[in-house]
Amino acid sequence: MSIEQKNIRNFCIVAHIDHGKSTLADRLMEMTGQVSERESKEQLLDSMDLERERGITIKLTPVRMFYKAKDGVEYVFNLIDTPGHVDFSYEVSRSLKACEGAILIVDATQGVQAQTLANAYLAIDNDLEIMPVINKMDLASARPDEAAAEIENILGVDASDAPRISAKSGLNVGEVLEQIVKKIPAPKGDRNAPLKALIFDSFYDNFKGVICFVRIVDGTVKVGTEIKTFTSDKQFTVTEVGVFAPKMLATDSLSAGEVGYIAASVKSIEDTQVGDTITEVARPADKPLAGYKKALPMVFSGVFPLDGSKYNDLKDALLKLKLNDAALSIEPDNSVALGFGFRCGFLGLLHMDVIQERIEREFDLEIITTAPSVSYKVYKTDGTMLVVENPTHLPPTTEIAYMEEPVISASIFTPPDYVGPIMELCQQKRGTYKDMTYLDKTRVEMKYILPLNEIIYDFFDSLKSRTKGYASFDYEISGYQKSELVKLDMLLNGEICDALSIIVHKDKAYERGRQIAEKLKDVIPRQMFEIPIQAAVGGKIIARETVKAYRKDVLAKCYGGDVTRKKKLLEKQKEGKKKMRSIGTVEIPSEAFISILKTDNDK
Amino acid sequence: MAGIYVHIPFCKSKCTYCDFASFPNEINKTESYFACLYRETKGRGLQLKGKKFDTVYIGGGTPSIVPAKFIAGEIKQIRQYFDIADNAEITIELNPGTVDAEKVAEYKKAGINRFSIGLQSGFDEELKRLNRIHTAKDFLKTCNLLKGENVSADILIGLWEQKAEDVKKTVDLAIAGGVRHISMYALTPEVGTPIYTDYLNGELLSDDETADIYDSVRAYLKEKGFYRYEVSNFAQKGYESRHNLNYWKRGEYIGLGVAAASFIDGRRFTNTYSIDEYCNDIIFNRPAEANSTVIEGKDNNFEYIMLALRTADGIDVKDYKKTFGTDIFKDYEKAIKKNAKYLDITDDKIAVKDEYLYVENGIITDFME
Repeated sequence: MSIEQKNIRNFCIVAHIDHGKSTLADRLMEMTGQVSERESKEQLLDSMDLERERGITIKLTPVRMFYKAKDGVEYVFNLIDTPGHVDFSYEVSRSLKACEGAILIVDATQGVQAQTLANAYLAIDNDLEIMPVINKMDLASARPDEAAAEIENILGVDASDAPRISAKSGLNVGEVLEQIVKKIPAPKGDRNAPLKALIFDSFYDNFKGVICFVRIVDGTVKVGTEIKTFTSDKQFTVTEVGVFAPKMLATDSLSAGEVGYIAASVKSIEDTQVGDTITEVARPADKPLAGYKKALPMVFSGVFPLDGSKYNDLKDALLKLKLNDAALSIEPDNSVALGFGFRCGFLGLLHMDVIQERIEREFDLEIITTAPSVSYKVYKTDGTMLVVENPTHLPPTTEIAYMEEPVISASIFTPPDYVGPIMELCQQKRGTYKDMTYLDKTRVEMKYILPLNEIIYDFFDSLKSRTKGYASFDYEISGYQKSELVKLDMLLNGEICDALSIIVHKDKAYERGRQIAEKLKDVIPRQMFEIPIQAAVGGKIIARETVKAYRKDVLAKCYGGDVTRKKKLLEKQKEGKKKMRSIGTVEIPSEAFISILKTDNDK
Repeated sequence: MAGIYVHIPFCKSKCTYCDFASFPNEINKTESYFACLYRETKGRGLQLKGKKFDTVYIGGGTPSIVPAKFIAGEIKQIRQYFDIADNAEITIELNPGTVDAEKVAEYKKAGINRFSIGLQSGFDEELKRLNRIHTAKDFLKTCNLLKGENVSADILIGLWEQKAEDVKKTVDLAIAGGVRHISMYALTPEVGTPIYTDYLNGELLSDDETADIYDSVRAYLKEKGFYRYEVSNFAQKGYESRHNLNYWKRGEYIGLGVAAASFIDGRRFTNTYSIDEYCNDIIFNRPAEANSTVIEGKDNNFEYIMLALRTADGIDVKDYKKTFGTDIFKDYEKAIKKNAKYLDITDDKIAVKDEYLYVENGIITDFME
């Protein structure tokens, strides 16, 4: 028997990174008896190892809870967790569509931050009821009145009765539960109407096929229901429905207002895409729910197996990851230096980092990622336009009339003390100043137009280091602008290594060429011969470094008899060698390709 | 060809770079140690009956620090239980200042016909910093006692502010002492040794500086009639160490005593590092082995190559074929092709070119599966 809609509350929690979202989620689960304190791993929702290590949430995770409110009624809460990082705001918008309300956490010591704003606006855009909560009251530096004032001034949300809690100690968390009942609206679907279920996430189970995470908007689904989606003609028979408790728990049916999962022996992720609407075959709904705007990858990078024979394993790994990561784009690619691989598109550098680590950990594959690039528009002299995401595909200069690069409009929030250093940084990154607003006496919002290719390198790290971590940053793509760009090639031992080529602004080519050459000199180990490292633009060498030849690489200690030890030392050396990739005659460690990004511009 | 290595784990004091099994504080165990050594010698001798041995090497520690009667006793024991060739090369390591005419006479009487002196440096201040117990003068005195004998000297490169000219002077000193063989080792700072601190603090020479010295002194040695027959070993023609050559040719050898390594019947094993454990094992008729590995499959080929490439003569292609029944050019086609630039290749041999011997690890690891 399904639960009555008036007793269901579907909500998510939005917050700036590290404002305590996962901790509050854990506390809510404990207090509703979903898990006991003892069995709760710290931060239950962050179930990926990677998430727990980094203290960030990457994937959505829904959880169902039962709460007996003071009015004596037992309510069902569906909490849909959301990622906090700017790279993942797309995933946030997915989960918001499945909710009626959002708990907005604000850190009482830090107040409203960039990501608080971005996510709160997303929630408001999706017509969610915003329920502010002020967290970290256990800290001596808590200033809840200021935080409440910021919520009201900046977001225009009434924070007068916002619970002042400590998710860590549990202080006032009971008040949060009560407010969820009172403030967050119950769903209002029609249970007798044709089925409309929004797929907000999915993953692949080896036994059950694709598992779709759904919010039932209208109608009812149960085992045996014939279903289809709006974008695919294929039909499937539901084999299992269930809820998240927080592990998957099979139930008889799911009805309008509920959040759960559907399994229907779907073999291909393409057949049930995230954002699509599921309906019944027998009685299809007339039109789909408003889906999501497709997430556009912003940063592109080559991904190659370290061991060329693992190409197919890498392909499988990427396809499996793509299954529940709609933002990841994959295209076959090949490089003279690295052989066959893929050109992947990511939401940002963190997203790229996460995908890379997941491939290495979950699939046990060693990979090489090349320097990330953005997508450029190349207007050719013959009047045609070409989109170039891979520097090696850039046509010869003689065929290029002009080029355009993507720019972002950035909002940087900072205490006033750091306005100077930030302006300097934005200047260095070819930024165009737009506007500056004093939000209050401790916070300034600076607006800049910045080329995306300057941001993907080390902008965020530089920003943090120049402002002692105080500044935060949010951006959105704001189109293309004409720019004087050139291709910077790196030559190793006289040969261009295509995997190291990047596209840079003309005025920066010399500096970056020099930095990359220096960096490569550090990461490429000495070999049997001297290796010249050169940076070139249009065939002209603009920088040069040299990796000297090895002078001593021999076991030259006395006592001949201990062959076992000699062998062990050589084996160790061999291990190191295996992690290298041969480019022509030069052996390069796999991290070289990515390390060239991490040139320190602050030097 | 097969060799016997005997380890004497005693010395007067530990050198700052030494991580070998040598225990100055346990010198009071000399008598019981030799009792056990004799027993192990007998046991291994009986076990290896039928094998012919043609080199014996008594190393340490400082073998010359114990009374000569023990050394003579061990050689007698070896002769009794092993089949030793008449022209066997029998070497003892000794430290300057630890022998007198009487001792040398006893060694000679026991059949020792090669003497390896731990000179290390011709400079007293360096010797002091290494915690060596001798001076340059002591070295010459010892050489005087060994006049006319087959003498070798060990010298170290890579020390603190060392210059190539200094090492050449040390070489001059060794030549003045009448040596016919020089082992020139690069100091290798091992964790746990006092000199490791110097290494961490960057006080020792860099690899490049050490290589400069090596190259320069190698040329100097050549001028003086010492040719390089292995990475660290230089000799006048005919004075190569047969015992060491056996290692590089992957011949068999049995190690006797604490921490001694053996390679017999395709198995490598090493005795325990502790004198007490060693004695306990031997008293209870157990082998004193701390570890043992049977070398299997292609590992045999790799060892053969790795050892042979250390020598100037390199790999003997025919001997390889005789040993393994296969053609090395087929077995290691890829590695040979990749390193062709660094190798001297003929139908009969594959050797690392002279100028690349000191960077040969990169070549050798290509032969590793």
